[in-house]
Amino acid sequence: MAYKYTLEILAGISIVAFCALFLYTSATMSGAEFAGSDNVGSGLIAKLSGNAVENFQPLIPQWEPPSGEIEACLFALQAAVGGILVGGVFGFWFGQARGRNAE
Amino acid sequence: MHIMEGFLPWQWCLIWWIIALPCLMLGIYQLKKVLNVDREALPLLGVTGGFIFILSSLKLPSVTGSCSHPTGTGLSTISFGPWITAVVCAIVLLFQSLFLAHGGLSVLGANIVSMGIVGPLVGYGVYRLLRDTSVNIYITVFLVTALADMFTYVTTSLELALAYPAGTGGFVSSFILFMGIFAVTQVPLAIVEGVVLALVFKYIVTLKPDILIRLGVFSEKKIDAARSEI
Repeated sequence: MAYKYTLEILAGISIVAFCALFLYTSATMSGAEFAGSDNVGSGLIAKLSGNAVENFQPLIPQWEPPSGEIEACLFALQAAVGGILVGGVFGFWFGQARGRNAE
Repeated sequence: MHIMEGFLPWQWCLIWWIIALPCLMLGIYQLKKVLNVDREALPLLGVTGGFIFILSSLKLPSVTGSCSHPTGTGLSTISFGPWITAVVCAIVLLFQSLFLAHGGLSVLGANIVSMGIVGPLVGYGVYRLLRDTSVNIYITVFLVTALADMFTYVTTSLELALAYPAGTGGFVSSFILFMGIFAVTQVPLAIVEGVVLALVFKYIVTLKPDILIRLGVFSEKKIDAARSEI
């Protein structure tokens, strides 16, 4: 029982350490823009190929979210779909476990 | 880890699609088989897939001054293996390429190979190595999750280095440059993801140990030991 919450404590510590690392990096690293690594990678592709990023055209036409806000909304929607799945199933299992214990 | 639409020559897009498609077909076949045998595997699939949806939508800052996202494929890899994980990843990546302009249809094969196939395959290898040993279940989940995440980004670097070898130093030099962007950024994220998903696995072990035993994820003895440990 002494180790009942070991994983919860470890998860808490790792999240706090991660946040501290971010704060330290953002305070000390000059030029840290925190852009997506995908975009940074695209920049390197442009450099290696000698082609400007703007010159890379989609091979298959693609719809793009009209604004950053709409993109953020769609990312939130993706997380929400996952959250509903996870929350729904854990709730279902929790109810089942409680029913078994009641019997 | 997304390679953006138009950033991979069509020949490479084709090669990665040719590799991805048979894996997806095998995954769909295995998924049908698992669900035909045990319908109670469906909620577990929902949870493991749900975490791929959640974690791959979170862009988190890293020590390199850029942002990246975890993959969340570890739980699915342990519970269902790499091929079914590839199918779930394909759904997430398709959503992102159609509605978020992250990735794209031509590069979907390459993105499936990195996030849905190679990453989970490495994780699955680690899982198979440790499954029948005395290594703690949660340490196994941590290692599988963190390594599946890391190798997703190593594979993305490999895919890009193959398509864009550097003028001097060729493929190796290019691979090191891409690794510097993708893999180094990912190290802290992979560690946190590993710990968090190990915690989630603890709740699955607590609430639904029977499905893990029936699917043969871990032996009854190991699950019982894990339940009594923490």
